[in-house]
Amino acid sequence: MSEVIVITSGKGGVGKTTTTANVGTGLAKLNQKVVLIDTDIGLRNLDVVMGLENRIVYNLVDVVEGNCRIKQALIKDKRYPNLYLLPSAQTRDKTAVTPEQMIKLIDELKEEFDYILLDCPAGIEQGFKNAIAAADRALIVTTPEVSAIRDADRIIGLLEANEIKRTDLIVNRIRMDMVESGNMMSMDDVVEILAIDMIGAVPDDENIVISTNQGEPCVGDDSLAGRAFMNICRRIMGEEVPFLDLKIKGGFFGKLKRLFR
Amino acid sequence: MKQQTVVIKSNKYGITLFLDKDISFRELLGDVAEKFKASSAFFKDAKMALAFEGRYLSREEQIQVIQTIQSNSSVEILCVLEQDALKEEYMKKALEERKNASSSEDGRFYKGTLRSGQVLESETSIIVLGDVNPGATVVSKGNVVVLGSLKGTIHAGAAGNEHAFVAALNMNPMQIRIADSIARSADGPLAAKGNGTGPMIAYTEDGNIYMEPITKEVINDIRVD
Repeated sequence: MSEVIVITSGKGGVGKTTTTANVGTGLAKLNQKVVLIDTDIGLRNLDVVMGLENRIVYNLVDVVEGNCRIKQALIKDKRYPNLYLLPSAQTRDKTAVTPEQMIKLIDELKEEFDYILLDCPAGIEQGFKNAIAAADRALIVTTPEVSAIRDADRIIGLLEANEIKRTDLIVNRIRMDMVESGNMMSMDDVVEILAIDMIGAVPDDENIVISTNQGEPCVGDDSLAGRAFMNICRRIMGEEVPFLDLKIKGGFFGKLKRLFR
Repeated sequence: MKQQTVVIKSNKYGITLFLDKDISFRELLGDVAEKFKASSAFFKDAKMALAFEGRYLSREEQIQVIQTIQSNSSVEILCVLEQDALKEEYMKKALEERKNASSSEDGRFYKGTLRSGQVLESETSIIVLGDVNPGATVVSKGNVVVLGSLKGTIHAGAAGNEHAFVAALNMNPMQIRIADSIARSADGPLAAKGNGTGPMIAYTEDGNIYMEPITKEVINDIRVD
């Protein structure tokens, strides 16, 4: 059975696209058939982060408008043959697609894929409505900052109103040194404010910047962020995985996994 | 002799029905039925598009006519061509052919940097005085010359001219399309791209796109007619 997951945050720049790329690649690594859909029409990024920009011929708007078949617009990933990207259009805006068209498109994709991940644009306007229209569940990405949390809270409310059955939280860009010195909210603080289940916490890791610039998601590699994303993928598939210890020890990334609860 | 109220003529896509506009619709339906019954052996079970002429038909009336045709013969009507759509297509084609002839020789200039999301379309060749950034697209029916850094997507010879070429002072394109061929940039870290390549030119040969530094030899092989 296929699952449609929207990755959203409300606020921009908290890591929706990076999360989509890494979670999608991670699920593909776990032998799932995955398609990533970039719904940020007019400001597409997911193709760049995936390193697939140079392969784009057709896009989401072309599919919806009937200029091409879905198969023609799907870009096969260069690393995993069971991972596909449906890029967004750069020359149009959010109004080029309606929620009804998204539902129809995703219904067709459901027949072929185990997971359909939707990279949602920032904001709560048309683009957000398009992205959540067909979603079964949502991953809310936030950083431990009041502004991002405020927006995430608003988004959770909107998702509840739209009857998205399940919402999980990803706390991104955690810096344990700052948490320990009391200058940053901890994961627990964020969870307490938002009152939804946390599916993972991702540390602020310079490897993310490197991997994003290279167009190679870091999920599954040895970096702390890569391992955190892989664990999120496992949890999405229903596995029980203990949370990582995000503390950086003596300049090395701690290798011990342990429950922090 | 009774005047012909229904005339069938063939066109490129199927048939055109010339209908009398003075008789009642009921009578007309009867005549259509008769006509197709008589010629059902000729059409056999052909599949075709249908166009109407001579009389305005509402949507319901069109459907009734199609039903009459299909119940009196084994012809399958695939779609109804709007009269205007048909004409438009012919005109477009004729126009296109004429334009194609001159698109490579004529040219225009564009000054400015083309940024992500911007599309520059031209019926003729185009010279860009500026950069073409990643995510920007230039579509031309003729040649494209970029006096700057080419980092975006170019489609030259967009109407099918395989002799079209793309030249740039600094060639790092995301994608180059010439006529029906597509070439994409090599994969690799984004940071590594954008280093100076020197003036280069891209052209097609046997459906493949080649990119080379601009030399006398290459220029000699380029056609601009």
